[in-house]
Amino acid sequence: MSVAAYQRPRQRLVRNITLIALEILLALIVLLPFFWMFSVSIKPANEPFAIPARLWPDHPTLENYQNAFYPEFRRYFLNSIVVSLATTTISLSVGLLAAYSFSRFQIRALSALLVLIILAQMFPVSAMIIPIYKIMRDLHMLDTYPALILAYLTLTLPVSIWMLRSFMENIPLDLEEAATVDGATRLQAFVRVVVPLARPGIVATGVWIIVVTWQEFLFALAFTSSRSMRTLPIGMNDFIGQYGIRYGELMASSVMVSVPVIVLFMFLQRYFVAGMTAGATKG
Amino acid sequence: MAAQIRVHTAKRSSPQRKETHGLGLAILFVLPAAVLVLTLMYYPMIRTFYESLFSTSFLNPTPEYIGLQRYSDMLHDSDFWQIVQNSLVWTISVVLFQNVFGVLTALLLNQNLPGKSLMRGIVLLPWVLPGIVAALLWRFMYDPQLGLINSILISLGVTTQKTAWLAEPGMAMVAVIVAAVWKGFPFSTVIYLAALQGVDQQQIEAAQIDGANAVQRFFRVVIPSISGIIRLNLLLTTVFTFNYFDMIWVTTRGGPLDSTHIFPTIIYEYGFGKFKFGDAAAYGVVAVLILSVFALLYLYELRESIRGRAS
Amino acid sequence: MKRIGLMLLIVILAIPVLGNVGAQGDDVVTLTFWDNQQTESGLSAYQQAAVDEFEAAYPNIKIDVVTVPYTEYQDRLILAVQGGNAPDISTVDQIWNPAFAVAGAVMPLDDYIANSETVAEDAFFPGAWQSAMWDNQVWGIPFNVDVWQFSFYNKALFEAAGVDPESITTWDGLKAAAEALTDPDAGQYGVGLFGFPNESIVVVVDSFIFSNGGAVLHEDGSCALDEPESVEALNYLVSLIPYAPEGLLNTKNEDIRQLFLNGSVGIEWWPALEQPTLQSSELDWGFVAGTAPEGKTPVGTYGGWNLVIYDQSQHKEEAWKFIEFLTSKDVNGKVVDLIPANIEAAQSFLAENREGADMILEHLNNAQPRPLSPNYLELSDIEQQMIQSIFSGAAVEDAVADACSQINDLG
Repeated sequence: MSVAAYQRPRQRLVRNITLIALEILLALIVLLPFFWMFSVSIKPANEPFAIPARLWPDHPTLENYQNAFYPEFRRYFLNSIVVSLATTTISLSVGLLAAYSFSRFQIRALSALLVLIILAQMFPVSAMIIPIYKIMRDLHMLDTYPALILAYLTLTLPVSIWMLRSFMENIPLDLEEAATVDGATRLQAFVRVVVPLARPGIVATGVWIIVVTWQEFLFALAFTSSRSMRTLPIGMNDFIGQYGIRYGELMASSVMVSVPVIVLFMFLQRYFVAGMTAGATKG
Repeated sequence: MAAQIRVHTAKRSSPQRKETHGLGLAILFVLPAAVLVLTLMYYPMIRTFYESLFSTSFLNPTPEYIGLQRYSDMLHDSDFWQIVQNSLVWTISVVLFQNVFGVLTALLLNQNLPGKSLMRGIVLLPWVLPGIVAALLWRFMYDPQLGLINSILISLGVTTQKTAWLAEPGMAMVAVIVAAVWKGFPFSTVIYLAALQGVDQQQIEAAQIDGANAVQRFFRVVIPSISGIIRLNLLLTTVFTFNYFDMIWVTTRGGPLDSTHIFPTIIYEYGFGKFKFGDAAAYGVVAVLILSVFALLYLYELRESIRGRAS
Repeated sequence: MKRIGLMLLIVILAIPVLGNVGAQGDDVVTLTFWDNQQTESGLSAYQQAAVDEFEAAYPNIKIDVVTVPYTEYQDRLILAVQGGNAPDISTVDQIWNPAFAVAGAVMPLDDYIANSETVAEDAFFPGAWQSAMWDNQVWGIPFNVDVWQFSFYNKALFEAAGVDPESITTWDGLKAAAEALTDPDAGQYGVGLFGFPNESIVVVVDSFIFSNGGAVLHEDGSCALDEPESVEALNYLVSLIPYAPEGLLNTKNEDIRQLFLNGSVGIEWWPALEQPTLQSSELDWGFVAGTAPEGKTPVGTYGGWNLVIYDQSQHKEEAWKFIEFLTSKDVNGKVVDLIPANIEAAQSFLAENREGADMILEHLNNAQPRPLSPNYLELSDIEQQMIQSIFSGAAVEDAVADACSQINDLG
């Protein structure tokens, strides 16, 4: 008895120290590349890279940030924001409607369609660029926001529908029926009852869409050509020439590209995990 | 734990029912999604297959029909089998480690530790970092002279040699896999963290009373109750990883000696690097065929859910 | 929800406004011109100034300049041509020009040249002009050129090792210098050999083969890599591996530059365009033209870009006027960041912007082009694989035999 009483707190202490050590190790593994990215971003362009590598340059400077935040780059930021938000909005709207249908109606054709939508996730983007390019050209949409938004929908819509549908399945039908009895139309019931209840799921799905579209590269490369239409991941190629990379500015721009999503994520992280819980535990 | 939520729901209201009428509204609601998926995904994929049946290339503006010739050539091409092998090694390793690491970090972050919520945010950073940036960063970290990894290993006394991580065929694959796992595991962590919330505490306590230690409890209670999500996540990450382009393209471009070339990189190289659209298309179709094996498993996993027998 | 709806509305309203760029008046012709930027020279600003000058001279022509980063240039051009959305004019790498000609993407310019007062064959470097020829027709006008490679060296390291920099123009001298400069324990490497699978290593290897009197292809188009001159050159490069930094197969020439700038590598190989980078560093550097066996002249590999007019263009006449303008002796030097392809423009450009202008001109005049073939990109890929296997230890004889059988199969 006394031995056990003596050992238990000690075991717990050892266990806690081990866990905290593991936690620190995890943080190091995750953060080390970020430190490195930051360190290169504050290194002056004419200071050579040290061997062995150093985490802090001799003469840190913010000059790379100034250089990287040139007018075109600001425009890329705007483009990325517009395209990400528009894709998120449309993907969520279209996805919500479809998810509602899939979760409320038991019709064989719908199940078949759902299978088709899930299967579409398998298609390799690199093989589809040329055919999609031709569609965009025929629609006179090349080098416009709608081209990118439409292309991004192919990446986000299947997963959005799937995620949103999982949330919808958890919303009881009775609540809508109660609303309909009170005189609301089916559509009104959907907007007033179902959508608000699906909010955690909408946030989780929305965050996922933003993360995916914010870093998309191949479509953005293919469907934009003028400088004023490029998005951030493509714009960063400005720092990569045929004969050399401007590492400092590239890493400064990387920091600037990453920060908005990271900040957004920090704010929405709680909802995301909560949303995922509801979604993930279904199925 | 799927049952958990449902039981909870059921307590609040009557069980979920499905309707079999109201076809008009159902069609109206799915129409936008259906049109988008069919025109922007199925139509291009069918075009791609069609192109692969012709001698299409940049140099050949008037392609001839060659049927399945390209596919039978591929089966006798050792390069093709190398791509298949690389793709399988890459996909299986990345998915496996990503999920194992994901479960382990989820377990860790599920403990009541100081700084837990901060860590839950930090751990997601690699997933949020744009893919191109992550790849450039890792190529730089692996640099034998300037890179952080060799510098750390040498200063810790682990090695005295400068390892050229990306320059030797076997090692390069390991190196790109490590980078991809770093980039991808946070997504699995979030999913598993969510799943762990649904594990029945009473069952764990019961196992504890029966004398099961932590490892035994993990395998007997935790794993079985999140196995559904594990299977689902395995399949999802498989599809993502198989089609993951940026990391390899930027770090090695498929080299050295084609040892890291996988389907998406070879498709891109044929299409845009060598102007051979037909070959790119054929590789694209084969990639879909290989993935459809996973897709069938995926659909099998989801069959209950698709049929709509919720609860 | 309301806010999301509002946002959606704003986005939808904004789309036509933002998407509808470039509507023009009736009688003004707008030409689209695509170029890529190789270095950090702020080229697009100079090009814009030249465009303004052109537009002033031709009020009915407007030029829309699209500068595309090099890494995505080839992909975008291919997509645009394939999608029927090509620009009117663009620069193309010399090595793509025959493919663009055979594909029917660009038009032959012989008729225009015959009637032109400024564009004539003898105004341009011969190697550059040749690179635009296919099937006895001219498919592009040389825009800029450069030559691989010059050996840039770190003066301090050479002095410390007591090596004469001029000695590295011979094979034996280069090897001896590399050996003297190498001390792996101190992180010092003699020569910046690299082997990442891209075009840079091909041009370097080709120049060693050319300097030994060899060739990539015979006159009849069959593979010449298995000839003794090529094999000897490849064996020579293998003998330099011990003096190069670790990780050859994943090392790019720009990785070597970082090591050269921090003093870890004694010699790096670049075209003349490396000068501005070195000038802005604090390094004390010098350079010599190429490396050849004792008694032979170093022969470099030609590189550069040609201006082409796309077959899809609706304004070919106007496009030709713009090409005449860009390649003229007064303008050519202002709109390139390599070396102007117009010889007169090149002379004044080099005198103003580069050290050792005479040496550069001589090396340019001696240079040889890579094989002119529509299949060049495949050929280059085979060569890259061959170099990678040789650098990773395969016997040179086996690797060249394998490469030659693949090249001869290309047809």
